[in-house]
Amino acid sequence: MTEMIKLFVNGEEVEVESGKNLIDALEKVGIEIPHFCYHPALGADGNCRMCLVGIEDGRPPVVPACKTLAKEGMKVLLDADNIKKIQHDVMELEFINHPTDCPICDQAGECKLQDYYMKYEGTESRMWVPQVTKRKMQDFGGGVIHDQERCVACGRCVRFLRQITRTGELGLVNRGDDCRVEFFPGRPINNRYGLNVVDLCPVGALTSADFRFKQRAWFLKRAESICHGCSKGCNIMVDHNKEKYEDDIIYRLRPRQNEQVNGWFMCDEGRMTYKLENDNRLEECTLAGAVRPLADIFADAERRIERATKVLFLVSPSASLEQLAAVQALAEKTGATVSAFSDGYIVKDDGDDFLIKDDKAANRAGVDLLGIAKSRTHFDNMAKEADVFINFGNDLSRSLSEEQIGRLFSDTWVLNGATHPGQLGAVMEKKVGSSIALRSWSEYHGVVVNCDGIAQKFVGGVMKNVERPDIVEMAAGLGSPATGTAAAWALVQKKIPALAEFGGFLELPAEGVKLTDNEAGK
Amino acid sequence: MMQEAKILSAKFAIKNSNKLTVAKKHGAYQTLDKLFSSKQGDVIEIVKNSGLRGRGGAGFPTGMKWSFLPKGLDKPVYLAVNADESEPGTFKDRYILAQDPHLLIEGIIIACYAINSHDAYIYIRGEYTTQRTILQNAIDEACKAGLIGEKVGKQNYRINITIHRGAGAYICGEETALLESIEGKKGQPRSKPPFPAVEGLYACPTIINNVQSIASLPWIIQNGAMAYKRYGIESATGTHLFGISGHVEKPGVYELPFGLPLLDVINEMAGGVWKGRKLKGVIPGGSSCPVLTPEEAATATLDYASMAEHKTMFGSGGIVVLDETVSMPELAVNLTQFYHHESCGQCTPCREGLGWMEKILKKIVAGEATMRDLNLVRELCDNIEGKTVCVLAAACTMPIRALLDKYRDEFEALLKPEPTDAVTEASAEQE
Amino acid sequence: MSDRSKLIATGKPFKFDKKRDTEFEQLVKRYPSRESMVLPALWLVQEQESWVCQEAIGYIADRIGTFASKVYEVATFYSMFNLHPVGKYHICVCRTLSCWLRGKQDIVNYFRDELNLTPGKATEDKKFSLEEVECLGHCGSAPVLQINGEFYENMDVDKVKKLLATFK
Repeated sequence: MTEMIKLFVNGEEVEVESGKNLIDALEKVGIEIPHFCYHPALGADGNCRMCLVGIEDGRPPVVPACKTLAKEGMKVLLDADNIKKIQHDVMELEFINHPTDCPICDQAGECKLQDYYMKYEGTESRMWVPQVTKRKMQDFGGGVIHDQERCVACGRCVRFLRQITRTGELGLVNRGDDCRVEFFPGRPINNRYGLNVVDLCPVGALTSADFRFKQRAWFLKRAESICHGCSKGCNIMVDHNKEKYEDDIIYRLRPRQNEQVNGWFMCDEGRMTYKLENDNRLEECTLAGAVRPLADIFADAERRIERATKVLFLVSPSASLEQLAAVQALAEKTGATVSAFSDGYIVKDDGDDFLIKDDKAANRAGVDLLGIAKSRTHFDNMAKEADVFINFGNDLSRSLSEEQIGRLFSDTWVLNGATHPGQLGAVMEKKVGSSIALRSWSEYHGVVVNCDGIAQKFVGGVMKNVERPDIVEMAAGLGSPATGTAAAWALVQKKIPALAEFGGFLELPAEGVKLTDNEAGK
Repeated sequence: MMQEAKILSAKFAIKNSNKLTVAKKHGAYQTLDKLFSSKQGDVIEIVKNSGLRGRGGAGFPTGMKWSFLPKGLDKPVYLAVNADESEPGTFKDRYILAQDPHLLIEGIIIACYAINSHDAYIYIRGEYTTQRTILQNAIDEACKAGLIGEKVGKQNYRINITIHRGAGAYICGEETALLESIEGKKGQPRSKPPFPAVEGLYACPTIINNVQSIASLPWIIQNGAMAYKRYGIESATGTHLFGISGHVEKPGVYELPFGLPLLDVINEMAGGVWKGRKLKGVIPGGSSCPVLTPEEAATATLDYASMAEHKTMFGSGGIVVLDETVSMPELAVNLTQFYHHESCGQCTPCREGLGWMEKILKKIVAGEATMRDLNLVRELCDNIEGKTVCVLAAACTMPIRALLDKYRDEFEALLKPEPTDAVTEASAEQE
Repeated sequence: MSDRSKLIATGKPFKFDKKRDTEFEQLVKRYPSRESMVLPALWLVQEQESWVCQEAIGYIADRIGTFASKVYEVATFYSMFNLHPVGKYHICVCRTLSCWLRGKQDIVNYFRDELNLTPGKATEDKKFSLEEVECLGHCGSAPVLQINGEFYENMDVDKVKKLLATFK
């Protein structure tokens, strides 16, 4: 347990965690100390001077909160007149050379300068002399665009690239009010985490070439999700919006803080997976090549399962625990075999020692916990025997060539549940008996278990115009006793006792639940 | 008649005094036997008792600084000698570096031994090219003669001295910026704590002393703390190399005990205000010290306490004399331009504020400002000061505030009338 | 300080000559960390070439084993590193306090009027380049010039005239 200490803020007693600086300690109890340069992942630099607070009886009486450890009995002053004046004065100084271009700035709506102006400054400009001018719209590489005039020289981006990625592309050059962020000519941002500097930038100095000018921040709806790009399970925010007469579109993914999983960051590849959610999605359900209502496809497939001698279900290693359990229950009822064969999801030597994992499956640990077989031999043997094969969203094209897939299922009746075309290979997909366009992870709720055995919930906030079933619904349509997500969750709890205490997936704590010491997907 | 003291400047007038043989003939390195037969703690005691205060500008007691070193740490201790003398009006250390480098080396040996350090870095400002060459030659000579190197003195004590060149950054005279610079970085001051005595160069305990402080040590060790205290006054013992410049007949460096009347020193040593002109003001200790009016200067003496009483600072003892022709607004521009140029760019108030102040002051000098500009720049002095990691911002705001307050008429005389509609003007300027 | 971030590329790879190479290897032994070599190495470049080009900054970073962005920071931070070619005689006029009080502006005006030479620029024949610098620590002998490292004290326009005549 963390030790708690008591201190006073503006004369009122508050209890905070010990061992933290004042910014972090007080943030946890809902008291904000304004700051630009400090970031918990990058440590205290102390250059912005925005977090200066008063310490009653302290020596010195005014200190940067980012560099001051919360101590028992400390008397912190945030609303003293001298502190308010410092905050006002520092803000005025931040502003004098800052362009007033909020209407065309991408950061507007989520900008610390804007927020703090309203809160701490709020006075008219006294900049009656010319401003310092600097460079605009510089391509920093890695999809990062820089506006030097908007920069507050907090150095977060520089520190991130030196301390976290250890690639050091950026530096703060010059000195005085001419100081600016630059890369050394010919050595721009070039690493797999570069776009995190856009999130770290407290102002609009660093923006994403991919996102800029697409949407105003305040129009975006936010869904707390888990990245499905690999087995790390980075916590993310899905920022999406459905404009009038248009489809619900994801505009960007951003990392969401989870200290035991991804800290504050995510990789650039993961960040770009939102494009797959938007683009090239399957929309129709077919039976013998013709578009048909889902109910017809279910009825047809159910009959075929009943009549078949051997049925094989293939699940995706990225499917949620609920989805896996629903398919398992269907298999138990119908005597079918379930496989989660997905060797191709593992990209050898692609991972690193930070966030990127070799295993591109979001829930392989969950597959193992539910006891679903996934070996190639098992899959091959079952496929040879099966006369009905149903794919529940597995991208088999990652593991097998078109030819291999064709050979395995040459005499098999196939129902392909998929999010995107090509997951069974183009040739096979022309021959399938039926196909179902599925929802993807940004469109359903669930729980996945990451490579470190941490079970994490995610919310699907995106509502596509085209109605599609998710895998729980597909399994239910084919006769699974798990008729909905709640029923499927109950099945999961039976198999994974550590989850038994949580009535529904939403009850899982935000930081996730550590289930095993699993090191899958290394 | 006022007499110069000869503790630091004893060899300044001797030809080739920077050569080892000449220096030795005139007493260099005579303290070493005594030093290496003393206990290290005793050396610190002597320096403490001598009352020696840091000669770089802050005036912190040298012996006390040494005693802040943590005991029993399994880390090397470093000595950094601050030869970055860059405060406008200050040019004293240069004389020691060029005229008597062996005095400095002898002082380094004493300091290293006292604080149990084996590696000294002399941080010399990049502009001091000839001084660096002379100093390097002296170090090489001393090394060859076995005065420094692997085995020094009776106790075979190792001392290596390395010169590290700055490259044109005033801020590197700030002790933690100096350390950053030796570590190969921009000279941006560190937040304290931790203090360098605990975590300094390469995260090891480090003592940073000014050239003149170090050069004072041989005489103190040789003659004892009591003898040193006979110079100067109780709160400021010993002598100082006063650099007198600006509008005087005989500018230069003069070694004098602390506590002498400021105007007497200007008149008797430096020949008084030049060209028979009248005195307008005195900057007493380098450009960051608030200016004294002639009336204030008449009662000030050259020591820390008197300068504090006069709401200015002793600083580096670099006295700059201003005659009646000086335009105080232009002086304010000249000084602000310096500090703006030298701001490291780290802290928001200093980075953004000093350039703003410079522009406003220039606007005043150009006759384009109104009362609200003057009031604004005066307010900025208060808004900027005391909110930064180091004191560079204050080094600018303090003297500018003094100029604005003490010579306000001169600034006001340059103003144009306030526009009747300030709002219209502001929006016109924005376009 | 003005913007110094625009580096000039020569288009040719940079390398220390033999003398500087030896000096680098000697100096590196004086420090417990290779990164301490950033300033000394930039000085070696400037001694060798009289200015510091973009390639040299990359070379130093690689040679020391640090980020080029760090060496770039240092090169732009310290105003004595010439980031563009200078004249054969690089003249630095102290502009601060005591030199200003004792007439440095007359000297700067002389360069402007007689040689068409203004701070930050070089003469057309590249013989002289001029820079106004901050306090040179020679306030007692103001005004002062520093030309290719040498100090010239107690200057006035006449003395400058005579001095320039000695530069061939």
